[in-house]
Amino acid sequence: MGVQIVMDRSGDTRHEFDTADASAVALAEERFRELTGKGFRAVALGKDGSPGTLLRNFDPEAEQTLFIPQLQGG
Amino acid sequence: MEQMEDALRALLSRALSEGEARDLAGITIESSWQRFAPRLCAVFSDGYRTSQLLRPSTCFAFCERHAVWDVEALRERLLCEAQHIYAQMLQEQRVPCEVAGQAWLPAVMRRLRIGLSRWRRQHLPMMEAVGTRRFLEDREAWARGLRLLVEQLSPEQRRQYNRSGYFDVTGGVSGKQYRIRQGSSMNIEQLDKKGRRVCTLCFTPRGGLVTGDVMLAQKVALEAFEREALRIANKFY
Repeated sequence: MGVQIVMDRSGDTRHEFDTADASAVALAEERFRELTGKGFRAVALGKDGSPGTLLRNFDPEAEQTLFIPQLQGG
Repeated sequence: MEQMEDALRALLSRALSEGEARDLAGITIESSWQRFAPRLCAVFSDGYRTSQLLRPSTCFAFCERHAVWDVEALRERLLCEAQHIYAQMLQEQRVPCEVAGQAWLPAVMRRLRIGLSRWRRQHLPMMEAVGTRRFLEDREAWARGLRLLVEQLSPEQRRQYNRSGYFDVTGGVSGKQYRIRQGSSMNIEQLDKKGRRVCTLCFTPRGGLVTGDVMLAQKVALEAFEREALRIANKFY
């Protein structure tokens, strides 16, 4: 089971998908492309708080993918 | 940061300066509605009400400190705190009554406030319905953001955050140390080898995210794409 966590105004929105289900994976990949196309950064979260990995391409094996909106200087 | 105690003290001080001592009946928070900012409101047994602006960060900090996460518990806790402060103020007679020599002014002020209270009572139900819903939504988003942040901290970072309100992060590329403090802007410090501040960094995700999300985005960015984050960040020495 994979989960895509999208940061938003409500805190976050989670999209779970079954990695064994091809259609669910395709939907997750589509979401990945859509969000990264909008400027979101996708990071495969590490286990137990260890540093994550920036994803340039969709990784169906990533258990938790965090989508961070585009950064701006404060 | 403004403390809730300071806000309550200012509120009660104003109430005392505008008339005789009354019994405090309740403390409420009227949430933001359209162009109005949230207000902390004291209600007294004779119907007198007074209020003042309240920063959401002050309210959230109070909720966090007292672990109250529903409106009723928050009201009870605020009333308890306010009654303690009010009793102390009455006992110590520390009422700053700047207009003590002008007996007519408090009376006029009181009449004006009563008139205003009547007007607000007529319009308040609609304002509160909207405001309370927004406050609850904001609070849930804030709590969800904080929960996500805590989930994604390492055990050491979690201990540090619970103990001190900040946690340290190692830059994914440079290996430099950064300290992320509670907040959503100007809250990152680059540290030297002795743990002293080198500079303050400021970058945030777009979209007006809640504090927990902002802090997690900062942590993940420094660990996973440090160069990009540093290129975007404003630096203050």
